[in-house]
Amino acid sequence: MSTHTYKKFEESNAGGLPDKMTVYQDCLNEFNESPVSPKKCRLLLSRLLKLLSHGDTFPPNEATALFFSISKLFQHPNNSLRQVVYLAIKELCMISEDVLMATSSIMKDVQNGSDLVKPNAIRSLTRVLDESTAFSAERLFKSAVVSKDPSISSAALVSSYHLLPIAESTVRRYANEMQETVSDLKTHQHTGSSTEYYRGSSYMSQYHALGLLCKLKSHDKVAMMKLVQQFSSGNILREQLAQIQLVRLVHELLVMDNQLIPEFVPLLSNWVSSGRQSVQLETCKLISALAIHMPTDLFDSMIRTLQMMLAVPHVSFRFAAVRLLNKISMSAPEKIVICNPELESLINDSNRNISTYAITTLLKTGTSKNISSLINTITKFIHDVSDDFKVIIIDCIRTLSLKFPGEWKNLLSFLIDTLKSADGGFQFKNSIAEALFDLIHYVPESKEQALEHLCDFIEDCEFSEILVRILHLLGKEGPNTSKPSLFVRHNYNRVVLDNSIIRSAAVSALSKFALTKGDPTLGPSIEILLKGIEIDHDDEVRDRATIALKLINTSKTDPIVAEEFIKPTYGYDLYALESKLAQYLHENPDGFTSPFDASTIPKYTEDEIKAIELKERQQKMLAATEGTSVNNSSLAGDSSAPKATQDSLIETSDDETLSLKYAEQINAIEEFSSFGTIINSSKPVSLTEPEAEFTVFGVKHLFEDHVVLQFNITNTLKDVGLENVVVVCNTEADSNEIEEEFTIPVDRLLPHEVASCYVSFKRPNKTATYGFFNTINFTTLELDPATNAPFEGDEGFQDEYEIDTLYLQAGDHIKPYFVGNFSAVLDELPYEQVAVYNLKQSNSSLQDLVNKLVVSTNCLPLENSQFVSSETNSHTLKLFGKKVFTDDRVALVVGMIKSKKGTALKVQCKCDDESFCVDLANELIL
Amino acid sequence: MGNLFSSMFDRLWGVNKELRILILGLDGAGKTTILYRLQVGEVVTTKPTIGFNVETLTYKNLKLNVWDLGGQTSIRPYWRCYYANTAAVIFVVDSTDKDRMAIASKELHMMLQEEELQDAALLVFANKQDQPGALSASEVSKELKLAELKDRSWSIVASSAIKGEGITEGLDWLIDVVKEEQL
Repeated sequence: MSTHTYKKFEESNAGGLPDKMTVYQDCLNEFNESPVSPKKCRLLLSRLLKLLSHGDTFPPNEATALFFSISKLFQHPNNSLRQVVYLAIKELCMISEDVLMATSSIMKDVQNGSDLVKPNAIRSLTRVLDESTAFSAERLFKSAVVSKDPSISSAALVSSYHLLPIAESTVRRYANEMQETVSDLKTHQHTGSSTEYYRGSSYMSQYHALGLLCKLKSHDKVAMMKLVQQFSSGNILREQLAQIQLVRLVHELLVMDNQLIPEFVPLLSNWVSSGRQSVQLETCKLISALAIHMPTDLFDSMIRTLQMMLAVPHVSFRFAAVRLLNKISMSAPEKIVICNPELESLINDSNRNISTYAITTLLKTGTSKNISSLINTITKFIHDVSDDFKVIIIDCIRTLSLKFPGEWKNLLSFLIDTLKSADGGFQFKNSIAEALFDLIHYVPESKEQALEHLCDFIEDCEFSEILVRILHLLGKEGPNTSKPSLFVRHNYNRVVLDNSIIRSAAVSALSKFALTKGDPTLGPSIEILLKGIEIDHDDEVRDRATIALKLINTSKTDPIVAEEFIKPTYGYDLYALESKLAQYLHENPDGFTSPFDASTIPKYTEDEIKAIELKERQQKMLAATEGTSVNNSSLAGDSSAPKATQDSLIETSDDETLSLKYAEQINAIEEFSSFGTIINSSKPVSLTEPEAEFTVFGVKHLFEDHVVLQFNITNTLKDVGLENVVVVCNTEADSNEIEEEFTIPVDRLLPHEVASCYVSFKRPNKTATYGFFNTINFTTLELDPATNAPFEGDEGFQDEYEIDTLYLQAGDHIKPYFVGNFSAVLDELPYEQVAVYNLKQSNSSLQDLVNKLVVSTNCLPLENSQFVSSETNSHTLKLFGKKVFTDDRVALVVGMIKSKKGTALKVQCKCDDESFCVDLANELIL
Repeated sequence: MGNLFSSMFDRLWGVNKELRILILGLDGAGKTTILYRLQVGEVVTTKPTIGFNVETLTYKNLKLNVWDLGGQTSIRPYWRCYYANTAAVIFVVDSTDKDRMAIASKELHMMLQEEELQDAALLVFANKQDQPGALSASEVSKELKLAELKDRSWSIVASSAIKGEGITEGLDWLIDVVKEEQL
């Protein structure tokens, strides 16, 4: 084709996409010609592919017609046409039916075709195979895997991944060939004219083979060990991706069984200190993820490797290293102090991602001693970076204020300085304001000074949104300070000087000062101010002033009502409020004549909201440190993936929404309608091994007079269904105080489904611990895999399955609560009980123990005591909560010491209720 | 230059035209074996054909485009996708499989009713004559009710693909008929 005609050919569709119907018709006509013209067909196919790649699709009947006409092109032996045909078949397989018609032709090419088309043919073959035809392709795959040509071998190996979900057993049968490919180094055909790049890349099939082997052997500990032994010795793995894959395999293995770690220490220390940087990095990730089980010297050499990597010229390695260090700094800041010089030099790195990570890491390793010098460094640095990075740094400072409440003076002055400095956009200023709010919230000592600084700031602030937030805060906190009149002045200035949005916020804030307890002279003055505002030209401002005056006047006769409106002591759960309102608007049963009923929406007092917020924050921090382990479980393979995500869902989903969800579920069940509302729901407790056939989570719900145990049962089996699933709960022999009422079974539980079984009891008067020995009784039915229904006439057989004991304990009567001054409250509480526990052969770390205690007592950990430094052998955990029925306060101080013999716990419990105190302290389940 | 001339001559004599031939029949009749007997001249080991095999071969100066479609029940419905422009159909019968003669007959007659095959010549191979108990060509012809066919050139040849008997004879007949009709 001359350039001239070529141009003409292309011009017709130079710009946009070719027309779909034209392409369709042209394809049908051209491909059914005899003989076919390979050039024209290739061009048409490329147009078709262009359409498909742009997301265009054909209805199944047209796709099928296309597929059949394309299949006719197999008559032509032209290799380049064949390659395009394979690409088209691969695409059409998704939308066309009857693709199996191409099977024989493709298989023939895989067997006898030229080396050029073989890889394409192999890749298409996996798309047309199904369960019943896969076995006939086994021999083809086998010989392709061991082919001398690396691209054929790689194509077969990578295609086998796609074959796994449809025919795993077929793939398993050529595992030996895969092993052979790992150790057989294939040289690329291009060696004649090769560059370094080509020779290196020719070992790629090694990586593909090893990856596939790892996938096949995952979950099989012995086979995995064998793989590691086989390929870690000598110089077998040339491809660095294969080496990394091996490190990941070891990682998976060690996560499965951390008892194996000592055996792998020599290998790991070899990897971490020699070889390629990418392998070193992967090993560092492994060591840091399993840090608690690693010997100290290995951990130290990992830190040294990372330290070295901070100074390499390659940007991505520097970035990866500093990111990993940042992650380590969350759990073991003291370990990475030695990297500080390198980190400090990275603050000026030209890559801002790196410099930001460096600075946040430095902030975390900071101790109360050097924090002020660090803040000095940041003050210089923060003006050079963009707003996005500034926000990250401020967030880090914000967590610092929780971590070092004692350092509030330095932090406050830094925050105020950056807030007042001229540059920075709304996002940045807002995050500073939020950090200051936190400081005021959780470090009460800083309140007055911070508020005064904020008053200065609002005199000259360009962002209305931030101003409004600060005014609200002033109104809330101002009246309780030592000199409220100061804040009134600042507040009133805003009424005089600013726009209507700010004016109305200021009015609301002002009205709260009228009720100040400490200074009775303020009330009348506020009244005078508000009267002045009543002539404001903005509606909203006038309205607010009027209603405030009205309420202040009633407060003279009826102080309680006024207080309720001006200074509400509780807020609604906003999510619940929103959904209820939406429901009300949507249903509208009688044209809005019946008022909206807000009584069912959960209300929280200020302290409760604080507790919820703090818990969210803590969970976020925890999630950040545990990020690696979550990644690992998803590495472990497809079959476990749904389970892993389910677990993490339960963990990460907000507690409040979880208990709301439970409440909804239970309300929907008739039997529970007379029980009233749920008073307290526990967190889900796992009652089985995570890899069991049926996994069960138990949840305890407390009602006024009843206790309901909910068992969430997941059937993980493939083709077995369960019928009439009942949980039989036997209480401990001596406790006849607890009486079973009824059980709600699950009728049918199909594979991969989750269902809930309920057992209801009369609520015992005592708060002592009750153990429930649980057995699940059920009928198993074999399912027909085709229909997912039981085989006809199959009556199944009775079976039972024992699960772990579920304990109803004192902690279930507690709701987490926040309190600012824990030690003062601790001294205040009247009753005390001290108990000592000795845990003998406990392998779990102190951190595990702390996590368990937080769950079983259902209290809120305070003063950052839920994080255990990985260095120490002792820790003190501080917990606080309130009893649900009586609002009695509960405070716990748990001191723990770990030694070689085990772990010793000293539990000091203080409470408003004597018997509860005794129950809680003496009957902890660990 | 020489190429140019020869292709011009080809066009003159109509040799460049390819003849489309389908090989059909029940599963296990020996279709794939016949195809490769024609192409490479020897017996190859075959597996049940999932889909089709297509080969181009030159026979007596004619270019033949031979399609061997799988005979399994699941694949038979797709035969019709390949009927268009077909010059001839080779229907292969396993002469020892007396039980399925009726099915073979039904499939054959159903296929020949298709509009697109009205002008196609039919060659039936009574295959597997090397096996003991094989029906003769005339017996097979009776079982298939070939005598009922109207307006069609057809022939039945006893063959053994394994031994290579009868194949060329059958094809010779077919080429003669097709040449007459199509060229």
